[in-house]
Amino acid sequence: MQISKKSSKENILLVGFPSNGLVGTFTISYLVHHLKMKQIGEIEHPDLPPTLFVEDGEILPPIRIYKKNNLFVILSDLPFDPFVAYDFAESILDYSKKNQIKKIIIISGMETVNKDPKSPKIFGLVTHKSLEKLLYDYEISKFLAGSIFGTDAAMITAFRKSKIPALILYAECHPFFPDPEASVVAITTLARVLNVKVDTTDIQKKIEWLRIQHRNLMEETIRSLQQHQQEKKPGRAPQIYR
Amino acid sequence: MVKNKDKFKIRIFPSTISSLLSDDIDKQILSPLSCLQEFETNWLLEFDLPLVNKKDIKITFDENSISVEAKLKEIYSEEKFGVKTKFEYFKKMLTLPGKIDSKKAFAKFTKGRLTITIPKIISGHKIKIK
Repeated sequence: MQISKKSSKENILLVGFPSNGLVGTFTISYLVHHLKMKQIGEIEHPDLPPTLFVEDGEILPPIRIYKKNNLFVILSDLPFDPFVAYDFAESILDYSKKNQIKKIIIISGMETVNKDPKSPKIFGLVTHKSLEKLLYDYEISKFLAGSIFGTDAAMITAFRKSKIPALILYAECHPFFPDPEASVVAITTLARVLNVKVDTTDIQKKIEWLRIQHRNLMEETIRSLQQHQQEKKPGRAPQIYR
Repeated sequence: MVKNKDKFKIRIFPSTISSLLSDDIDKQILSPLSCLQEFETNWLLEFDLPLVNKKDIKITFDENSISVEAKLKEIYSEEKFGVKTKFEYFKKMLTLPGKIDSKKAFAKFTKGRLTITIPKIISGHKIKIK
């Protein structure tokens, strides 16, 4: 992967965490790997299950911060429950302010009714009007209607009240199964927005393996998303059928 | 875990107790992800079966349970409890809700996803509106 000379010099933060189809996790991990980004920090939270990864004898925390030139990345390998999601969003906002981040880009997945399995689409949502031009420039369909819950919603809530604009790229995906194929579309779109060249051959070759390897993370993510949905259920309201 | 710096790799999430129990290490059987959705006239059951060819899938109904078994087209290896384990099959049995017409069920397999549509048996009686 090469960064084009035309790349913007403003600080940009990319954020990925487990959500629908694990699209954010696959996309951001792939970019970190291909850009050979350096880990510069980590995020801890007392309510997260104590989890560490060991790779070649090196201990890795589940939420890591990477940097290369003007590009920052925060990547979580753990899904969040509703309480941790708000803290996570606030800590990212705080980090963005301290590091003069000019915009953040969140990658996630969404289930759509009329999905074309041959070519998943990308939808964009922006928290500030200043980023709307970006949707037109890169021909990204605007996310017009629907509901958002989980960590995505916590992030949008935090950033829409701040001065730092956020672009959320949603790739159409299967909501309950890992969908690395959808993340290929997300990687391609993100590369265009960042003005970098990216070869997706590696991930395309490994699609089937990634789906098997990430069954556990998908299960954990669905559990977390269900917790978020339960949080939104009204307590004494009658059941409404439709 | 062997690291190959030239290949893209994502950290594999550690297995939970429940997921560890669902894979059968001795028989080299993986438990596939599945989901069940209810519609007005049918149930839609989906299985994620990557690394599988259509001809190697076997679906069996037994009263209100369904069993899906599939041979992987290549051996899948994973580290469990610090031991490298090889898997050759996917297998899962699920209990379905009552009143289904299994004889009219049909299945499709596209891009490693198996979808089984199972019609409901619609029964009941009319009531008058006064």
